[in-house]
Amino acid sequence: MKTDHELIREFQDGNNTAFDELVKRHLPNTYGFFIKFTADEVEAEDLAQDVFIKMFKALKKFRFESEFKTYLFRANINMSNTYLRRNKWRNLLHLDQAPDPGYMDTTYEDGWRRKELWDAVAKLPSRQRMVVTMRIAQEMPYKAISEIMGISENSAKVNYHHAVKALKEKLEN
Amino acid sequence: MNIENKFQQIAQSGFNAPDGDTFLKNLHGERQRRYQKKMGIVNGFAAASMVFVLSLVTFNQLTDDPMDYASNDLKKIEVMDSETEEFVYDLAGYLVENSNDIWETLAFLDKIDFEPVATMNDGGIQ
Repeated sequence: MKTDHELIREFQDGNNTAFDELVKRHLPNTYGFFIKFTADEVEAEDLAQDVFIKMFKALKKFRFESEFKTYLFRANINMSNTYLRRNKWRNLLHLDQAPDPGYMDTTYEDGWRRKELWDAVAKLPSRQRMVVTMRIAQEMPYKAISEIMGISENSAKVNYHHAVKALKEKLEN
Repeated sequence: MNIENKFQQIAQSGFNAPDGDTFLKNLHGERQRRYQKKMGIVNGFAAASMVFVLSLVTFNQLTDDPMDYASNDLKKIEVMDSETEEFVYDLAGYLVENSNDIWETLAFLDKIDFEPVATMNDGGIQ
C-alpha cells in the first residue's frame, strides 16, 4: 500500500486518482471528528467536504515537512474553529434550530446536551479550545496534541486542565 | 456526571462514515461548482474593467468644442465635390440670413476657414 506522501507526490504530478485514494483513506477519521463535533450527519459531511476541497488546493504546494495526518488534523481543527465561530453568531442571532440528533445515542446527554458543551467550548481561549477539541473528538494523546500544536506536552496538559475547569464552571452553573 | 466521562462518551460514540465513492462524487461536483463560480466572478470583473477602460477612453476623446467637428468636415473645402460645396454654400447662406448676430456668424465662418469669408477678410486678395 502506498504511503500518504507517495500519494501526494502522485497527485502533485497530476494524478487526481491519488487524491481520491487519500480522501477515501482519511474520510472516516475526518468525518468522525466532525460528527462528534456537530452531532449532525449533514453538517459533518459538509465540514469534511470543505476540508478536502481546501486540501485539493493546498496539497499542490505540500512540502512534506510533516505527516499528512498531522496536516489534515490541523485543517480539521481550523475548520472546527470556523464552525464554532459561525455557530456563536448563529446562536446570537437565534438562527439556530435544535439539530436532529439522527443516529446519535443520547443516553449520555443527561445533565446537559452536547450542543451546550460545544457552545461552552466555543467560548474558551483559542489554545484551550484546540486542546479540548482534540481530546473530546478523538481522544488524542497529549504527545500527539503537542506535535500538532507545536507546544510542549506539559503545556498541552495545562491547557486541558484549565479548559476542563472552565467548562465545569460554565456548565454546572 | 464527571465532565471527563462525558468527553469519553462523546469520543467513543459510534458513527457510520459516508460511502467513499458518493462522498468523492459530491466533493468533486462541489469543487467544480466553486471553481466555475470563482471564474464567473473573475470574468465578470475583467469584462467590467474592460468596459470601464473603453468608456473612459471614448469619453476622453469627446469634446465640448463644436469647432473640432465643424473643422473636420469643412476645412478642406477645396477638395469637396461640387454637390457638397453647393450644400456648404447654401448652409453658410442660411446661417447668415437667419442668425441673430451676423458678426458672430461671420466670425464662425472665418474660424472654420470658409473660403468667401476668409477672402473677404483678406481684402478680396486671393
